[in-house]
Amino acid sequence: MQKNTSTLLQTYLQHQGSPFSDPGFSAPELQLSSLPPAAVPFKIWHALDDGERLSRAQGAFLALTQHLQLVGDDQSDLNPGSPVLLAQLGVARLRAQGLLGNVAAIMNALGLPIPPEEDTLGVVPFGASAFERKCRGYVVTREYGHWTDRAVRDLALLKTKYPA
Amino acid sequence: MNVFLCWRQPSWMVGRKRMRLPANFQWLLATFILLCLLSQVNSQRKGTPRDLKCTTDNLQIWDCSWKAPLGTGHGTIYQVCIDDRSHSCHQLEKANIKIPALSPGDHEITINSLHDFESSISTFILNEKNVSLIPESPEILNLSADFSTSTLHLMWNDKGSIFPQHSNVIWEIKVLRKDSMELIELVTFNTTLNGRDTVHHWSWASDMPLECAIHHVRIRCYIDSLHFSGHKEWSNWSPVKNISWTPDSQTKVFPQDNVVLVGSDITFCCISQEKVLLAQIGSKNCPLIHLDGENVAIKIHNISVSENSGTNVIFTTEDYIYGTVIFAGYPPDVPQKLNCETHDLEKIVCSWNPGRPTALVGPRSTNYTLFESFSGKYVTFKNAEVPTNESYWVFFEMIPNQEIYNFTLNAHNPLGRSESTMLVNITERVSPHTPTSFRVKDINSKAVTLFWRLSGNFAKINLLCQIKINKANSKQELRNITIKGLKNSSYRVAVDKLNPYTIYTFRIRCSSHTHWKWSKWSNEKQHLTTEATPSKGPDTWREWSSDGKNLIIYWKPLPINEANGKILSYNVSCSSDEETQSLSEIPDPQHKAEIRLDKNDYIISVVAKNSVGSSPPSKIASMEIPNDDLRVEQVVGMGKRILLTWHADPNMTCDYVVKWCNSSRSEPCLMDWKKVPSNSTEAVIESDQFRPGVRYSFFLYGCRNQGYQLLRSIIGYIEELAPIVAPNFTVEDTSADSILVKWEDIPVEELRGFLRGYLFYFEKGERDTSKVRGLDSGRSDIKVKNITDLSQKTLRIADLQGKTSYHLVLRAYTDGGLGPEKSMFVVTKENSVGLIIAILIPVAVAVIIGVVTSVLCYRKREWIKETFYPDIPNPENCKALQFQKSVCEGSSALKTLEMNPCTPNNVEVLETRSTLPKIEDTEIISPVAERPTDSSDVEPENHVVVSYCPPIIEEEIPNPAVDEAGGTSQVIYIDVQSMYQPQAKPEEDQEIDPIVGAGYKPQMRLPINSAVEETAAEDDIDKTAGYRPQANVNTWKLVSPDSPRSTDSNSEIVSFGSPCSINSRQFLIPPKDEDSPKSSGGGWSFSNFFQNKPND
Repeated sequence: MQKNTSTLLQTYLQHQGSPFSDPGFSAPELQLSSLPPAAVPFKIWHALDDGERLSRAQGAFLALTQHLQLVGDDQSDLNPGSPVLLAQLGVARLRAQGLLGNVAAIMNALGLPIPPEEDTLGVVPFGASAFERKCRGYVVTREYGHWTDRAVRDLALLKTKYPA
Repeated sequence: MNVFLCWRQPSWMVGRKRMRLPANFQWLLATFILLCLLSQVNSQRKGTPRDLKCTTDNLQIWDCSWKAPLGTGHGTIYQVCIDDRSHSCHQLEKANIKIPALSPGDHEITINSLHDFESSISTFILNEKNVSLIPESPEILNLSADFSTSTLHLMWNDKGSIFPQHSNVIWEIKVLRKDSMELIELVTFNTTLNGRDTVHHWSWASDMPLECAIHHVRIRCYIDSLHFSGHKEWSNWSPVKNISWTPDSQTKVFPQDNVVLVGSDITFCCISQEKVLLAQIGSKNCPLIHLDGENVAIKIHNISVSENSGTNVIFTTEDYIYGTVIFAGYPPDVPQKLNCETHDLEKIVCSWNPGRPTALVGPRSTNYTLFESFSGKYVTFKNAEVPTNESYWVFFEMIPNQEIYNFTLNAHNPLGRSESTMLVNITERVSPHTPTSFRVKDINSKAVTLFWRLSGNFAKINLLCQIKINKANSKQELRNITIKGLKNSSYRVAVDKLNPYTIYTFRIRCSSHTHWKWSKWSNEKQHLTTEATPSKGPDTWREWSSDGKNLIIYWKPLPINEANGKILSYNVSCSSDEETQSLSEIPDPQHKAEIRLDKNDYIISVVAKNSVGSSPPSKIASMEIPNDDLRVEQVVGMGKRILLTWHADPNMTCDYVVKWCNSSRSEPCLMDWKKVPSNSTEAVIESDQFRPGVRYSFFLYGCRNQGYQLLRSIIGYIEELAPIVAPNFTVEDTSADSILVKWEDIPVEELRGFLRGYLFYFEKGERDTSKVRGLDSGRSDIKVKNITDLSQKTLRIADLQGKTSYHLVLRAYTDGGLGPEKSMFVVTKENSVGLIIAILIPVAVAVIIGVVTSVLCYRKREWIKETFYPDIPNPENCKALQFQKSVCEGSSALKTLEMNPCTPNNVEVLETRSTLPKIEDTEIISPVAERPTDSSDVEPENHVVVSYCPPIIEEEIPNPAVDEAGGTSQVIYIDVQSMYQPQAKPEEDQEIDPIVGAGYKPQMRLPINSAVEETAAEDDIDKTAGYRPQANVNTWKLVSPDSPRSTDSNSEIVSFGSPCSINSRQFLIPPKDEDSPKSSGGGWSFSNFFQNKPND
């Protein structure tokens, strides 16, 4: 899944034209208010209790599934002739949903409360310009990778705490 | 005027600066005003009102003003009298007056200025020509902006109601940009006044998005009134109106998501509070154009086509990026190959090719609308996918009872639109669906019914359908039928003229009766038609058995088109006047029957039966009518066929039959037969069974009423080949000069063609000679006899030489070529008389010499003893050698001593250029005779020990090319012992001329090439070298100059002995000294042969 996230990001950028498709493109300053960033100081992350850590991941992947759907719709307009990209976005959304279900199951197993599902997108994103759509697609695919990496660490940490 | 300006300027300055200037400057201003007043006072002294000037802004009221007399100011009263129709006078306190427009022509204006009871009068002549028309400055009613299109919309009123109609107005509009009011655009705009107040609109598209900077607009006008003869001037500029953008969202870059034509120029701007560091389109950096504040713009020239997701334009600030996307593409191409047709007369399908790609996808892709003008209905089509060159198509529901359709296909995208039209009568554009549910049903053995289904409403038209009929081994057949159309129904049609019991493959396709396009072919259906009775009886022939008692009846299986079914059995009957014999139900694979008949006058009839019935009988008479005038002819085929021709015979009433068989088979023999009509005179016989090189017999029968008569008997070949065996031949008789040869015939199977003759070759040759050369190499020494008389079976070859081996070869040939050869070696008998003479004469001579010698020795025995065997021999007086010499000279008596173990030898030299005498017995005829004494080239040679042995060696010896005789010669040694030299080395052999080496070996094995070898081995050679006769004298010259003998002059060359030395071995013992024997003459003589010492 981690490998697929980087493939998705590369495929996505290749379809957005220069300078997005230029080698080494990176715009860390681009963020989405509706999508929590995965980057967190290690100390804070480590100090989180399990419930908090899992509920953050759960919230992030809930937002990611909605955002990936949005990006898929955006790209249907911008790149209707690129089935590869659209298929990868669809697969990524399903994976994010799968991971979301797994995290919820773990939280259930640990007896942690599951935060209610909410619409993180709201009504804001509609009517965005093509450039904004490209940028938010970039942020979503980028954060999808980052959150996947973080989820792997989350679960690894959890595994050390609850062996078997 | 100067005063006015002088006065106004300070007041403006004061007005502007009053609030700012400090108080202590006010006295300066007061002083300045005072100075102005003084100046005015001074000017009053100058006198009267002057400079009358009139303007108008509506052509109805003239506004005239003049300059007051110098020195006058407030309180001056002017009386103005105008000399017009009413001659009115006006009392005024100001130096201007508004008067109604005066009629054309000069008018006198009198202005009387009253000031402080002083009066001054000025008179002016006023004409309309002196009046200036200066319109009021226009008022902008509204200035609005469409930011999405970067367009300004301007509205103003022309106030046309106050001007006469049809006056032309020129408007000048100024567009200014940024706070600094840079002039961007100055345009003129013409209108015509229509007598009413009219609001005008003017739009202007900005090259830069209007959001980027503030835009200002001003306007002025110029009225070109035709009825006004005075001076016309521009109005003042209107007050400025401006447009600016108030940010309503986070968007910072303009324009957003625009679609533009490829190649256009476009400006992008970024509204920013921070400094913009970089601007780029795609990955290409662009120079920044600075606008108000930190706002910047970039200008893109000749933009290139975008990829699907558009071209990105990005502005980078210190800590963020802003951007927009531009979509550069093309307007839709005219739809190409628009085509409307119907498959079912229910829906019309229109297809077209989009033409050049627009490079615009998704929401920006081309929308198509298919509009039908008679019904007013339309359908739309949008292809959001990436455009391809494939065809697009839409369905249009047909309108009931409408046949003519006028379609317009509109294509539009954000950059433009295009259209194609098509007027179509849809009943002429029917391309039916593929027929389905296709099946076949029998009617009878020659007709079937075809059923199929065709979806569609064809009730109003006729259908044209095409049936494809395929039959094995036959050309396909197409049949067209026309049927009444139906609505979604099954159709049926009968197909006749078929063959019984035949597999057919049917397919069908349809079109409208007017035919525009065929449907696709339906699935194919295979069908076997039912059987019918055989249409003909089998082709029949008969043969009498070899004993003449049984008649064998043959018939051929019926071809499938005549059998009309599967033949189950045959009935055969033989009927004569008295009786009828029949064989019934002969099962099919059998095509032959044998009937015992008492006499030969029967009519045989054969009937074939299948499941439906019997064929008509085929009849043939059994009788053979004899023909005495018959001979066997020959024929050769052409290609794989044989052509037989004959003369027409009126007696032959039914037909001719040619039967044939392999002629090597026993009787009755029948391979096949062929019937030809009685009016033919030729038949081409063709069969796969014919093989080249096989003899076939052909028999031509003519048919008469009562039977068949054999007319001709022919043997022939499809193709003649060469015989595969050689004729077997034997030698019947040999004599000394002739051979009688006899041969046998070659069997027909091995002849493989008609024998045309024999070739007989003969030459001299021996069996074990390795050089059995080809017979066809054109050698002159081969004699050939061509025997074309085939009855000849023997041949006598005469004029041969006796005691000679001959190589005989016999070959047979046909037109197909020469057969293999058979060869044989035969030795002719020797000439017995010559042999006897050759033996007796030497014996007699030897006896006589012996007797004489014995008598002499006996008589002179004392002298001999004294001379040769003294008690004390004196070496100096030794005459032994002399004795030997003298004894041997001219005498060969001693030879007989050595002959005891030997049988007589024959040396025969044949075919020399000069006719040489036959040499028999080398003792008698030495080569002296053959060697001319002038053979100066001959060098002394090593002596040879010759020991002849009895075996007969037959060798063919070619004479060396350098032989003096010049021709080839053949030497046959009989009873000569091997004379090969043991020391002869193979290497030496190889160095010798190959011709030499191939011949007479004892002579050739001479170590003559290397002087070194020769000198080293000379002694040995002298001891052991064999017989070295006359052959190859030139090779003797090959000795090198180092050789002792090579220094010898020609005169010193010693002749060499002949093979006759075999008879006196002691004379052949070489001398011990190294001195070469010398000869006084160039040739050699018998006596020289015995000279072992030089001139002793």
